[in-house]
Amino acid sequence: MKSKNHIITENAHSKAGLAIINSKAPYGSYYGKDALDIALIFGSYEQKVSLFFQGDGVYQLIAGQDGSLLTMKDYLKTFAAFEFYDIEHVYICQQSLHIRQLCPSFHIADVKILDIADFNEVLNQHQHVLRF
Amino acid sequence: MSTLHLVRQSAFVTSDLAQCLSMVNKNDTIILMDDGCYNINHTLLRNFLNSGDSCIDINIINTHAKARAIKAIEKINRIEIVDIVKLTFIHTKVITWQ
Repeated sequence: MKSKNHIITENAHSKAGLAIINSKAPYGSYYGKDALDIALIFGSYEQKVSLFFQGDGVYQLIAGQDGSLLTMKDYLKTFAAFEFYDIEHVYICQQSLHIRQLCPSFHIADVKILDIADFNEVLNQHQHVLRF
Repeated sequence: MSTLHLVRQSAFVTSDLAQCLSMVNKNDTIILMDDGCYNINHTLLRNFLNSGDSCIDINIINTHAKARAIKAIEKINRIEIVDIVKLTFIHTKVITWQ
């Protein structure tokens, strides 16, 4: 478990990177899928990209989901490929989890839980922000 | 290091404004545009204005507000859509809350 300060300074040198904020639940719309596609495209071209999950976006990371029951492509399964695209920075907002009474149990490893102040600070270290 | 926040949704429908206000830093600028103009009467924004955080500049697109019969209030500057161009150059980055 890395300390908060370590997470914040670790990211200080990724200043030029892209941050993608996910703010929507996974299956009701295509926003999450679009965000994923952009993240993977940036990863393919070796561009630095970090993912932020806030608000209903936190539902995208919760373990035990099965989108195949909904006759649509279960894009959450693709999250497991992040390491092959060098997407190493995945942050989730602690308050958003807390409000929704969610346990920090995620379907991918290395998700960093940050309180709102640290979440804001790490986001601010990025040059560009896209929000879905 | 500052951010231009474009708020395009009504907080009576989505939590975009709440998320935006939780992420603003000093010297940032907020622009209420499209349905974001309705936030002028939302308690979230009123409380934020009354908290006295004068380092945050809040603007509303005049035509968007007028079209919706929204009366401007003193603490919120009225700007035109072309003014956004200048503001994007002043700030390091832009976040669109929609």
